[in-house]
Amino acid sequence: MTATPGMRDLAHRLLMYEASVGKNSEPIESPTLRVYEKLRQGLGEFAGVAGFQSLASRALALARTEAPSLSAARISADGALEGLGEIEHQMNTDRDRATEYAAGGGGIILISRLLGLLLVFLGEALTLSLLRVTWPGSALDDCNSDNGRKA
Amino acid sequence: MSTQDKVKINQLPTGVPGLDEIVGGGLPEFSFNIIAGAPGSGKTTLAHQFVFANATPERPALYFTVLGESAIKMLRYQQQYTFFDPAMLPGAIRFINLSQVVLEKDLGAVLEEITKEVEKSNPAVVVVDSFRTMVRKPESDMDLQSFIQRLALYLASWQATTFLIGEYAEEELRDNPIFTVADGLFWLRQTAERNSIVRKLQIIKLRGQDSVPGLHTFRITDAGVQAFSRTFGLTARKRNPPGDRRLTFGVPELDSMLDGGVREGDSVLIAGSSGTGKSVLATQFIAEGIRQGEPGIVAVFEERPQAYAERAASLGLDLETPQKDGKLTILYLRPLDLSVDETMHSILDAVQKIGAKRLVIDSLAGFEMALSPGFRADFRESLYRMIFALTGIGVTIVSTVEVDESFTEFPFSTYSISFLTDDIIRLRYVSIDGQLRKIMVVIKMRGGNHAKDIREYEITSKGVVILGKRLTAYQGLISGIPVHSGRSDPKEETLQEPGIGNEG
Repeated sequence: MTATPGMRDLAHRLLMYEASVGKNSEPIESPTLRVYEKLRQGLGEFAGVAGFQSLASRALALARTEAPSLSAARISADGALEGLGEIEHQMNTDRDRATEYAAGGGGIILISRLLGLLLVFLGEALTLSLLRVTWPGSALDDCNSDNGRKA
Repeated sequence: MSTQDKVKINQLPTGVPGLDEIVGGGLPEFSFNIIAGAPGSGKTTLAHQFVFANATPERPALYFTVLGESAIKMLRYQQQYTFFDPAMLPGAIRFINLSQVVLEKDLGAVLEEITKEVEKSNPAVVVVDSFRTMVRKPESDMDLQSFIQRLALYLASWQATTFLIGEYAEEELRDNPIFTVADGLFWLRQTAERNSIVRKLQIIKLRGQDSVPGLHTFRITDAGVQAFSRTFGLTARKRNPPGDRRLTFGVPELDSMLDGGVREGDSVLIAGSSGTGKSVLATQFIAEGIRQGEPGIVAVFEERPQAYAERAASLGLDLETPQKDGKLTILYLRPLDLSVDETMHSILDAVQKIGAKRLVIDSLAGFEMALSPGFRADFRESLYRMIFALTGIGVTIVSTVEVDESFTEFPFSTYSISFLTDDIIRLRYVSIDGQLRKIMVVIKMRGGNHAKDIREYEITSKGVVILGKRLTAYQGLISGIPVHSGRSDPKEETLQEPGIGNEG
């Protein structure tokens, strides 16, 4: 079972949004890490550190079945994502990232798996409600109900 | 101090149907409440309903989860309820997980964390679910009582209405300092009675206003918790004074025996064994009401509404048209796990909806069987409350009850409920001239005159029809095995005028 197209599309939008926002920020940080950290902050508040950590671990385990490159990544006890830098260090340009995302690279698969789990547990309406706190509507555009149903 | 000088305590909607009436109008604003009960008793659902009913983006609700249920799973399950509005999260309702603080630190740190979030959000509602789990740490440097007192003081000062949710057993209620601090104490119980579950709610205390004492039934449905006040929400209503108006059955001879009909607001019992025509007579009472422009309710327990209406049609009584016109409701109350309070709620809703003046309960035996076994022990007491409440608002009730026919006794009811009723009409079989015939007598009519006649009747295609005059040619009719008295033919007798059998 792979990440659904709907979730992959949503993950792609979030990653592209963070890539564009993060252009001017220093130090340069992987968009995947930026999306992940925002999810960690937002979800950690109500799910707790342990709750988020377990959810993220599950997402990573699922993502590894699709992207073996994630074998080096791990989720720490506090829910932080480690080991992703080495995977993404070679993607220094927007074109690299776009190509990676389009090809379904490790980062996008991990994020889409995490979003997919949220959708499974919380449903589309509540998941989008929570995401809207962190990201503007423009970043979530096209997240219509079809996404949820496809997931 | 005049009324004007007194502080006004605002009441907040509980969000739980029926509970506002039980707590005395609503929950006191800024109160510090505890919801206690065993796991699975509905504590979290109750708190969620309150939160969703009161939270706004300007004055949000903070819902602190601790070491109990996983927050994600809790939201997964709770959103199945119809009151759950995902759009309110996280703007108006914020779920904050304190498990890490509880695991790694002490109660002082928990209080600090709650304080920090409260000052940041200015909440109208704060819930800690479950606070019991976080106070079980033996190494806590702050004792439980101190924690609760400081939390209560702080949250009241910040103008938050608070719920602490905890798993408690009944025996822990005594001498527990936590319960002393609380302004409100809500206790939820669920007990197994044979194969049924009975849920009951008690407001053990609620400072500042009168709540309805006692145990109230509640049910958890897809709409969440729904409470049924044991006073049926009618305590505040003024009882209608008994009127002089008479409600007829549409059986002229019977109405005459009743001195013109049943007094409005009376409770009438029609007692008899199987096949004596109790339901037929009750149906005639309803149909006659509709004919006179009085809407009615029929609560049936032993047959479906369609079958009931078809049986009425066979007697020439049209119950279909008044149902379509909103003048009649036939309630089929699903059997086996009802409480009287729930039944009452359904009946009251129907009464209010169509402005019913007449109610038929057919039958009391069916009603009792429809109840959860746990409620059957309280059947008489519940029936008393129900009849008192309904007749108090002017509804005239006709109940049917089956009695075991005996040829040595003449019982009025197997339920010993005759004291609950104003009027009793007794139907029975009698053996006369080699035939099993039927007789009818008005046993009791509180505050009114009624005939003492024993009349023979038949059930025809037009319903109950009383035959001839009173039966004077026989003695021992109520024994069911009368003997001929040698007097003249009953058809020659003059109908006895009402006013002889006056009972107080």
